[in-house]
Amino acid sequence: MKPPAFEYLAATSLAQAVAALANDEAKIIAGGQSLVPMLNFRLLAPSLLVDITRIPGLDAIEEDGGGGLRIGALTRHHTLETSAMVQARFPVLSAAMKHVAHLAVRNRGTIGGSLCHADPAAELPGLALLLNAQLKTTQRTVAAADFFEGALSTALAGDEILTEIQLPALPPRTGWGFEEFARRSGDFALTAVGATVSLSDGEVAEARIVVIGADDTPLRASAAEVLLTDRSGIAAAAIAAQGQVSPNGDLHGSADYRRHLVGVLTRRALTAAWRRASGTGGEAP
Amino acid sequence: MEAEARPKIIGARVQRVEDPRLLAGRGAFIDDVNLPGTLHVAFCRSDHAHARIVDIDSAEASRMPGVTAIFTAADIEGKMHPIRATSRMADYFATELPVLARDKVRYVGESVVAVVAANRYLAEDAAERVAITYEPLGHAIDPVAAAEAGSPLLHEEAGTNVIVTRTFARGDVDEVLASAPVRIGDTFRMHRKTPAAMENRGYLAEYDQGRRALTLHSTTQIPGIVRDALVEMLDLPGNRLRVVAPDVGGGFGGKGALYPEEILVCIIARQLGRPVKWLSDRLEDLMTTNQAFDEIVEAELACDEEGRILGLRAEVIGDVGAYSIYPWTAAIEPVQVVSFLPGPYRVPVYRGRVRAVATSKTPTGAYRGVGRPISTFVMERLIDMAAAKLSLDPLEMRRRNMVRAEEFPYKSASGIVWDRAGFMECLDGVATAADYKALRQIQTEARAAGRWVGIGLASYAELTGLGSRIAVAPGMPVNTGTESARIRVDSTGAVTAYFGIASQGQGLETTLAQVIAEELGVRLEDVEVIQGDSAVVAHGTGTYASRSAVLAGGAAILSARAVREKVLEAASHLLEADVGDIDTGNGRIFVKGTDRALSFRELARAVYSEIGRLPREVREGMDLEATRMYDPYFGTTTPASHLAMVEIDPETYGVTITRYVVAEDCGRIINPLIADGQVQGGVAQGIGAALMEEVVHDDAGQILTASLMDYVVPTAMEIPAMEIIHLETERPDNIGGFRGMGEGGTIGAPAALANAISDALAPLGIMINELPATPERLFRLIEAATTRNERRATRVG
Amino acid sequence: MIRVTVNGVTSEHAVEPRLLLTDFLRHHLGLTGTHVGCEQGVCGACTVILNGDSVRACLCLVVQADGGEIETVEGLGTVDNLNPLQKAFQEHHALQCGFCTPGMLMTGVDLLRKYPLATDAEIREGLSGNLCRCTGYVHVVQAIRSVVQAEKNGS
Ligand SMILES: Cc1cc2nc3c(=O)[nH]c(=O)nc-3n(C[C@H](O)[C@H](O)[C@H](O)COP(=O)(O)OP(=O)(O)OC[C@H]3O[C@@H](n4cnc5c(N)ncnc54)[C@H](O)[C@@H]3O)c2cc1C
Ligand code: FES
Ligand code: FES
Repeated sequence: MKPPAFEYLAATSLAQAVAALANDEAKIIAGGQSLVPMLNFRLLAPSLLVDITRIPGLDAIEEDGGGGLRIGALTRHHTLETSAMVQARFPVLSAAMKHVAHLAVRNRGTIGGSLCHADPAAELPGLALLLNAQLKTTQRTVAAADFFEGALSTALAGDEILTEIQLPALPPRTGWGFEEFARRSGDFALTAVGATVSLSDGEVAEARIVVIGADDTPLRASAAEVLLTDRSGIAAAAIAAQGQVSPNGDLHGSADYRRHLVGVLTRRALTAAWRRASGTGGEAP
Repeated sequence: MEAEARPKIIGARVQRVEDPRLLAGRGAFIDDVNLPGTLHVAFCRSDHAHARIVDIDSAEASRMPGVTAIFTAADIEGKMHPIRATSRMADYFATELPVLARDKVRYVGESVVAVVAANRYLAEDAAERVAITYEPLGHAIDPVAAAEAGSPLLHEEAGTNVIVTRTFARGDVDEVLASAPVRIGDTFRMHRKTPAAMENRGYLAEYDQGRRALTLHSTTQIPGIVRDALVEMLDLPGNRLRVVAPDVGGGFGGKGALYPEEILVCIIARQLGRPVKWLSDRLEDLMTTNQAFDEIVEAELACDEEGRILGLRAEVIGDVGAYSIYPWTAAIEPVQVVSFLPGPYRVPVYRGRVRAVATSKTPTGAYRGVGRPISTFVMERLIDMAAAKLSLDPLEMRRRNMVRAEEFPYKSASGIVWDRAGFMECLDGVATAADYKALRQIQTEARAAGRWVGIGLASYAELTGLGSRIAVAPGMPVNTGTESARIRVDSTGAVTAYFGIASQGQGLETTLAQVIAEELGVRLEDVEVIQGDSAVVAHGTGTYASRSAVLAGGAAILSARAVREKVLEAASHLLEADVGDIDTGNGRIFVKGTDRALSFRELARAVYSEIGRLPREVREGMDLEATRMYDPYFGTTTPASHLAMVEIDPETYGVTITRYVVAEDCGRIINPLIADGQVQGGVAQGIGAALMEEVVHDDAGQILTASLMDYVVPTAMEIPAMEIIHLETERPDNIGGFRGMGEGGTIGAPAALANAISDALAPLGIMINELPATPERLFRLIEAATTRNERRATRVG
Repeated sequence: MIRVTVNGVTSEHAVEPRLLLTDFLRHHLGLTGTHVGCEQGVCGACTVILNGDSVRACLCLVVQADGGEIETVEGLGTVDNLNPLQKAFQEHHALQCGFCTPGMLMTGVDLLRKYPLATDAEIREGLSGNLCRCTGYVHVVQAIRSVVQAEKNGS
C-alpha cells in the first residue's frame, strides 16, 4: 500500500495551480485525507499533484455582511467544528462536524476537499445542500444543488478549483436538527439527516431537509419539506422523505434498512428543529 | 539486623517492565529492525477464488527500477521440502501448504509471485506490471454446498472438500431426545472473523554466508515451532537456524501459525545472500492472515420439566478455508466447537458431529478463544431458550445444571475432565456483583416505558495451560505440553531468565520476572526476561492457548528453585552456616536471625571470580545457572461467568451496552493489573465478534472487508467500562497454582450479548441465533417479526 | 529539498514526492516509534503532531510537511524520564502490546490541549479514532482521565 510515483507542485497562487492543472493527469491535493488513501491503495495514478494548501487567503471564515458566512475552501474541518462564528450562525454545521471522522483527520481535511471529493455519505456535501450554499470556483459560482452529480462526482472541470463556500443567512427563528447513524463513532454515516425549520407567526414558513448516505449524492427531501409548510406534520414528512430516496445497499446496511433510517432520522431531526425554532420542549406537529 | 521478610511479588500490582520502552517509542517491532542492504518483497496475489494459473509474465516487471529478482513457484521448486500439517486423527486430509501458488490458486489473496526490490515502493511498482493469466475454476464459497458431492474440489487428491470429520458421543442421544419432555433447538451461525492485530505480520530473514546460518525475525507467537519446521524444510541444523520474535504488536492467534511468507523470505535471503523483508500491509493482512469463527451449528437440547438437561445433539459445519494450517491443522477450531459444546454443565448424553469443509477462502486457524466462542454462544443460547420455554429464570436454569463443587473432577460428555474450579462461584459472583435481581427490576420498569432493555448471562469453562497429555489440536504431532526456563545469575549478580514463549502484549516479561524474583529472593528489577528467541532455550513452542503463565511460570519456578539451591549451597560456605539456616530475599542472602548477609552480587563474585573462597571439593560443578522443563501433564480449568445488559434503540436498532460484569476464576493471580487487562481486551474482542465484526465474501469469493473501514473493529466508544471479579477458589494442581486466562473474555462475550439482545427483543419473539448482531441483521429480524406479529394480530382480530 | 524540524531538530532531505511521512520518519530519520497499521487513516497508530495539530502521518506526503514542525512519541519523554501522560499509561496499564500506544499518546496530547475532556464519554469519543486491539480501552480512558484530573488539580 504505497502510492505510485508522481510529480508534485506546491502552488503559491491560484493562477499557478490552474495552469498546472491543464495537464490532464494532474490532480489537486488539499488535506489529502481522501486522496492519499486512494493513492495508497493505488486506485489513482496522477502524474502530478498540485498542492493548493500553500495558496494564501483560502482558509478564512468571514461574515458576508448579510448574516451569512464566506468560508475559504482550505478551512480545516476542526476550524469549522470550533468556529464561534459558525456556531452562532449555523449551529447545525457545528453539530454535523462532530460526526466527521476523528480529530486527526479533522485537523487536516478541508471543507473544499470534502465537497469536491463528494462522498455520498459525507456530512459536508449534505450541509452545503441544506444551507443553500453557493460554491465559488476559479471559473464561476455554482449552487450546491447543481454541484453534486453522482457518487464521487461533481460539476467541476479538471482545471477548476473550488475557492469559497458562501452560506447565506438562515431566516430568523430557525431551529435545526442533525441526526446520524453510523456503525462506529467517526465512521461515514450509514444515513444522516439534517433539517432546519423556520417559523413565522407560529407557522412553519420554511423547512429544509437533507438526507445523506441514502443515494448517490446527498438529497434535499423537497417533497417532505413541502409537507411541513402545508401543515401535514412531521410524521408525514418523514414518510415522504423515505419515498424520495433510492438508497444503495452495501455491506454495512441494505437499501431497505437505509430507507428505514431515513424515516426515523428525518422525524428526529425535524422534531429537534421544530423544538429549537419554537423555543419550547412541546410536542412537535 | 533481623532479616527482612521476603516481600510478596507474586500477586502484586506491579507496573510492567516492558512499558517504558514501548511508551518512549523505543520498542523494537519487526519493521523497526533494520539491517543494511535489506531487500523488500511485494506479492502479486490472486484476484480469483479458485483458478488455474495459465501463464505468468514478469518480463516487464523484471526490468523495472530497483528490482533484484522475481520468484514464482517454479523458481523455488527444489529449494525446500514441502510441508503439511499432519495429524493422527482419522478422517483428516492434510492439504499441502504452498509457499507460492503452483498450478492453481484457492483463495483471493493467495500469493503467486514475489517481487524483490530495493524498497517497498519499487517492489509494488514492479508487482503491478506482472501479468498473470488465470482460467477460472468453479469455486466453493458456501460451506454447505461445498460439502456436497459434485461441488468443485479444492484439493482433488482428497476427493472431497470435507477434510475433517469427527464425532464425540456418550449415550444414545436420539432416544433421549425422542422421549424428552422439553426439546428445543435451532441452527446457529457465527460469521467469520479475522484477528486484526494492530501490527500486521512481517518477516525479515538474514543469511550469514560465512556461518551458513539463517536468522528469521518474525512476528510469530511460536518461534520454536517455526524454527523446528524450517529446519526440516530448509535442511539446516537447529544451531544454524534461529527464529526471533521481537516486540510483537498483538497476535491473538493470528500470528500463531507458520506462514508461507515467512518460509519464502528465508529461501530468498539464502539464495540472494541479502537480508529480505516482507511486511504485510493491512490489505494483505485482511486477505491472508488466518481467519476464524466460521461455523454453522444445528443443535438440540433435551430437558426434563425442572429444566435439568437430559441430552444434547449438534451437527457442526466449519468453513475452514483453502488450506490446513501448520501445525494446528484445519481441525483446531471446528473440533473444539464440538468438544466444548456441553460447557460447564452436566450433560449426561451427547452427540456432537463436526465436518470441516475446505472452501475458496482464506485459511482459518486459531483466534482468541478457538471454537469456544461459538460453542459457548450455542450452549448459552440453548440454555436461555430452554429457560424461556420452562418459564424459568436464566440464572436459575444455569444453577440447576452447572457442575457442582462436589462433582469435580468431572468428566464431560465429550471427554474433557474439569478439575475443581469455581464454576458456581463465578455464576453467583457475577449475579451478586451486578445485583441481578435489581437489574431485572430495572428491566421491568424500562419495558413498561417502552424501552428495549435486556440482560444476558453466559458461563463457560476452558482448558488452559495444557500439559503433554492433552494436545492443543487433535492428533497433532508437535508436543506443546512442556516449556522450559533457563535462569542464570551472572558474575555481576544480575539474573537473566530465558524462555521459549513469545509475548505479544501479555506482559510476560513482567509476570515471569515477578515469579522468578519471588522464588529466587531478588528484586524485580534484578531480573531480565529474554523470550521470543528460539536460540535461548533448547525447546519451547511459544505463546498461545492461554498457556504461558502456567507452563513458562511453572518452568520459571522450577529453575528458580534449582538456582536458589545453588545459591544457598555456595552461601553456606561463604557465610559459614547451614543451608537450612540461610534464606534469600530482596536481592540478599542471609543467615536467618543474624546480621550475616551477602548480596547476590557478592555471592556471584565469589563463585565466579574469587573461586578460592569456596572449598575445593565444591568448585567442580558449581555454577549459578539452571534449566528446567515443566509439564503440567493435564490442563487446568478456567471458568467464568459474564453478564451483559444492553439497551436497543427501538427505531435505529443500535445496541448500547449499559453494563458488563465478569467473574472469573484464574487461580493464583500473578499481577491483578495485567489480569484485568487480559479480561478487558478479551471482552472487547468478544463484543466485536458479537456486534460488529464479520469477514464478508461475495458469491465469487471476493473479500469485501479488505480495509479497517469495512472490517469494523470496536473503538473506545463501543466498549463499555467493565466490572471484573477475580475469584480464587481452590489452587489448581500445577506448580504455580495458576490458571490460564488470556482468551476467556472473548469466549464469554458473544454468548452474553446474544442472550442480552434476545432478552431485550423477547417481547417481539426474536431470538439472536446468528452473530454478529449488526444493526442490519436486527433490522431484518425486527421487520420480519413485526410483519409476523401483525399478521397474527389480523388473524386474531 | 525539504526542510523539517522533528522533535526540535531541523534537517534537510531530498525525497521523492510520494514518500509518506510515516516512512520518512521511520526509515529516513530512524524514528520508529511512529507505527503503521493501515495506511488509510483508520487505525491512528501513525498519529504525530504537525504544526501543533495531531495528524495521520500515513496520509501526509512528506513534501506537504516541508517547513513544518513535527513532534513524535520520541519527543515526549525518555525511557528514564517519562512525561506525565506516559507515566499515567504505565500506572494504569493502558498498553499491552504497545503498538497502538504512540498514536494513543500523540492523540492524547492533542486532545488534552483542545478539549476539556470533562467526561469519560468525551475522552472515549476523542480516542475513537485510535484502534487498540489489546486493552479494550478501559485503562486508556482511566489513564487520560487521571492526567485531566492532575492538570485540573495542578492549575
Ligand atoms: C479515517 C477517515 C474517516 C473519515 N470519515 C469521514 C466522515 O465520517 N465524514 C466525512 O465527511 N468525511 C470523512 N473522511 C474524509 C475527510 O473528511 C476528508 O478530509 C475529506 O473528504 C477530503 O478533504 P481533503 O481536504 O482532505 O481533500 P483531499 O483528500 O486533498 O482531496 C479530495 C478530493 O477533492 C479534490 N479537491 C480538494 N480540494 C479541492 C478544491 N479546493 N477544488 C477542487 N478540487 C479539490 C482533490 O483533487 C480530491 O479529488 C474521513 C477520512 C478518513 C481518512
Ligand atoms: S497507519 Fe495511519 S491511520 Fe493507520
Ligand atoms: S496495546 Fe496492543 S493494540 Fe493497543
